[in-house]
Amino acid sequence: MRWGMAVDLTQCIRCYACVAACRIEHFLPMGMSWPRLVAMETGGDSPTVSTYSVRCNQCQDAPCVEVCPTGATYQREDGIIAIDQDKCVGCRYCIIACPYQNRTFLSKDKNQGFFPGRVETDFEKAGKKLYRHQVGTTEKCNFCAERIDAGLAKGLKPGVDREATPACVNTCPAQALTFGDLDDPDSEVSRLIKEKNGFQLHPEYDTNPSVYFIDGKIGFSETSNIKDDSKRETAPTGAER
Amino acid sequence: MEIHEWMINYTRQTEWIDRRGIFLWIAFYAGGLGGGLYLVSLYFNSLWGMFISWLIIAVIKGAAHLIYLGKPLRFWRIVFRPNSSWLARGIIFVLAFVVFAAVQLALSFWLPGTALEIVFKVLAGMAALAVTVYTGFVLNTVKAVPFWNSTLLPLLFVLCGILGGFGLAVIIGLNGGNVNIAVAEAGSRWLLIINALLIVVYLWTAANRETTGKKSVMEQMRGNLAPVFWVGIVALGIVIPLAIAFSSYFVSEVSSALLVTGVACEVIGGLALRYCVLKAGAYKPLVAIAG
Repeated sequence: MRWGMAVDLTQCIRCYACVAACRIEHFLPMGMSWPRLVAMETGGDSPTVSTYSVRCNQCQDAPCVEVCPTGATYQREDGIIAIDQDKCVGCRYCIIACPYQNRTFLSKDKNQGFFPGRVETDFEKAGKKLYRHQVGTTEKCNFCAERIDAGLAKGLKPGVDREATPACVNTCPAQALTFGDLDDPDSEVSRLIKEKNGFQLHPEYDTNPSVYFIDGKIGFSETSNIKDDSKRETAPTGAER
Repeated sequence: MEIHEWMINYTRQTEWIDRRGIFLWIAFYAGGLGGGLYLVSLYFNSLWGMFISWLIIAVIKGAAHLIYLGKPLRFWRIVFRPNSSWLARGIIFVLAFVVFAAVQLALSFWLPGTALEIVFKVLAGMAALAVTVYTGFVLNTVKAVPFWNSTLLPLLFVLCGILGGFGLAVIIGLNGGNVNIAVAEAGSRWLLIINALLIVVYLWTAANRETTGKKSVMEQMRGNLAPVFWVGIVALGIVIPLAIAFSSYFVSEVSSALLVTGVACEVIGGLALRYCVLKAGAYKPLVAIAG
């Protein structure tokens, strides 16, 4: 079993819902986002801005696991790269080694609260009880491993049942994110990657990411994508939404 | 940097040089300098040199590493993964050096000439060499940063460390330590030439590795790092010490003040070299920008 995700950029409407959902799910401090939208200006005579939804690629040959001197970063049996915050010493070697720059060091200035020096919101108070972040350690997307584990314990299927599926995938209103088992050729995510020629970022690093992107025209103008989208029928992508 | 600008251009690494990352730069340099001085001091059998190198590694390098860590109280965990992590290996080398060299210093002071002293000199010498070389491997194994991904880097750091060691040995010799100043000067002279050539080859190969490597080299030679590169590495690190070294070779005696100036320039050059190497390390853009 290997959990993976397909990000269909032809469907993505750049609404930041995935970023917001992750912040709520994991009570992320303001200075840190696990998934991010990367904006880029396209070339040509009339450049426009397009975006990428990126997150930790959960690489199967992860350089971050290799370089971690404490064993805090490790690979689970299901392929997810996890961090044991209690073992992390904050050396940041993993941040340096990640070719995708998808790790963040939680420094004090990134954890000053939503309204620094003013008020601590109920959301922040709840976060301190439910999902504790440790200043001085490194963090990143974990495919909502806690949801997956809890869902599997209940006999649910990640990628199909909402309760066992990552928050960003559940939230995406455009059905641009699909989650499932990459080792299962019949899973929705495997089918999408195969049919739509999904590709990994920077395959030359031999990291074998578990996040695939679908868009044969990366960097193309958003306008042209919108035109394409209007012609496309939105097909269900596996995850129950 | 705006969140949107991140990863679409050549992005410089910041964690290991900016803000608190400065301490890692100091730690990396202190390791090279301390290890180099210990090896040179072994050659001259200079107890003062060995003691100073121990102080540099145990106190300066050790403190700089601890200050840099996000969770310094968990420092002991850093040695748990030597099978794959060069950082874990490096810290093991540092701890081994601190222990072996401390025992060796005690033996050299109270029981000189014993077989045990020689054994610990060998052990501490091997650890010192490892401390000098490991930082090169820490960087060299990072595939994501093409500028660092060179087999020349460990060699460059070792030779730079030994060069600094010869320089400090001259200072120790001038202050009555057991160092043959003429030999130390000769060592510096040769290493300065070899280092200068190695830096040129390193930059040449980095510039030809891939576009990101070339960007890193250009950043040093013509970009924001140009003052550090030309003044710190080239002028202070190579040209001035070489001029002083050759004047002492051809004119015979040069003043102590000039020798000390040359050594100070060498140390600044070594610091500048590591600063530039760390600061110029950059990642590829995440995606190719369509034309």
